[in-house]
Amino acid sequence: MGASIKRIGVIAHNTFRESIRDKILYNIVFLAIALSIFSIILGEWSVFDKAYAIKSTTFSIMSLSGLLISIFVGISLVQKEIQKRTIYTLLSKPVHRAEFILGKYLGLIAVVATHLGILTVVFYGILWLSNADPQIALLQGVYLIFWELAIIVAVAMLFSSFSTPVLSSLFTLGVYFAGHLSHELLAQVRFLQKIDENLSSFSLQLMEWGALWVNRILPALYKFNITNALVHQIALPPFYLFWHSLYAIAFVAVFLVIGSWWFSKRDFL
Amino acid sequence: MRPNMVLQDLNFTVKSGEVFGFIGPNGAGKSTTIKLLVGLLQASSGSVKIKGLNPQSLRARQFLGYLPEHPYFYDYLTGYELLDFMADLYGLSGKLKSQRMDWALEMVGAKKDWIHRRLRTYSKGMVQRVGLAQAILNQPQLLVLDEPMSGLDPLGRRDVRHVIQEMNDMGTTVFYSSHVLSDVETLSDRIAIIVDGKIVQQGTFEQVLSNADARDLEEILSREVAKEGVNHGS
Repeated sequence: MGASIKRIGVIAHNTFRESIRDKILYNIVFLAIALSIFSIILGEWSVFDKAYAIKSTTFSIMSLSGLLISIFVGISLVQKEIQKRTIYTLLSKPVHRAEFILGKYLGLIAVVATHLGILTVVFYGILWLSNADPQIALLQGVYLIFWELAIIVAVAMLFSSFSTPVLSSLFTLGVYFAGHLSHELLAQVRFLQKIDENLSSFSLQLMEWGALWVNRILPALYKFNITNALVHQIALPPFYLFWHSLYAIAFVAVFLVIGSWWFSKRDFL
Repeated sequence: MRPNMVLQDLNFTVKSGEVFGFIGPNGAGKSTTIKLLVGLLQASSGSVKIKGLNPQSLRARQFLGYLPEHPYFYDYLTGYELLDFMADLYGLSGKLKSQRMDWALEMVGAKKDWIHRRLRTYSKGMVQRVGLAQAILNQPQLLVLDEPMSGLDPLGRRDVRHVIQEMNDMGTTVFYSSHVLSDVETLSDRIAIIVDGKIVQQGTFEQVLSNADARDLEEILSREVAKEGVNHGS
């Protein structure tokens, strides 16, 4: 067990090193910082409250730039190993394939955490400079974005364990947007049921059934977006952060187990 | 042969402490056999055992060293960092780790002036040396080399031959594939010839020549290839 943890740590460390030497990562981080700074101007132009505009924009930038890292860095991490055949050397060493997947995952999670850490410092700097109420409670939002990205990175690892980079990217994007919009879809179907009498009961039931399953199977990523509650200082339900951390861990575990199982069956020609 | 069946009726044993040469034309199934040996592929039927162990087991890999054909390593690492990474995967640490790394680098003739450079700047010969160093880092009981002399100049080939001989002198069993028939003749205790996924000859060099009633390996290969009607390009 101890040796296994050590090997996972070694692969995670190498993955982190690989990622921070990757130019794509720097492009994404610099773009995110630039956009965060741009949110000051956006706050001045906005018809909404300046603090609200800055905070909601920066939280969105954190989430979207993390998504870009998961797609452009995360998916290529496994695929590059296969395409460039570096995996031949690695998997001939005393390493379980599940350890490889877990090590890659944790290395990328460390990259995402570092990225969020940098953006959080920039975020508080912007709030402080523009007198936009830099409360410590905002860290709860960053914390949940981290868990949202932890799920997305696991999704990216799952798809990249058996699919091509382009398809893996599309699937990961699909899960991200579906996870953010699944409750809207369900709400729209239920709204339709109330107002449209022309639709047959069968097609309505089918739509509701589909929307319900999308909502049940995919991670409800919209629950990790608490910007409105934080900006308007609305109290979160008790243990909200705790339960949502557990919810994220459960999804991450399921995705990584499936990804590891699939990867362990794979032949490398 | 059934469609997609790359290897057929493959049956051979490599004895402990010997150098076993594996030769055949392009596309004969040499690399596929090697990937089965190191656990990168799973056979659709039959089994591969290394000292009685499944090659996919961690115990088997603990005493296995492997150099793939045309090795490619992480170009963002230096040669030294790559060895350090591989040593960590073998569970080496502290003084033993640095001793093994120094030993492996010396064994393959790696120079201090380039070992700390990024791998992307390496020539083919340098990559091959680092590849060999990572393969012998754990002082393996079985060293598997896929075309270790491919693309190397005569000096590079000489150095690879030297490493194979040195490792064998230390008691390591060496299994390697090669196109260079003269190297196979001089290095191997026993050889096997694979054509179109089947082993057509195996034994000592003399036994193989005598069984096939041929003057040299090239003649056997040409004859077997013509017999099988194998189209082997490049």
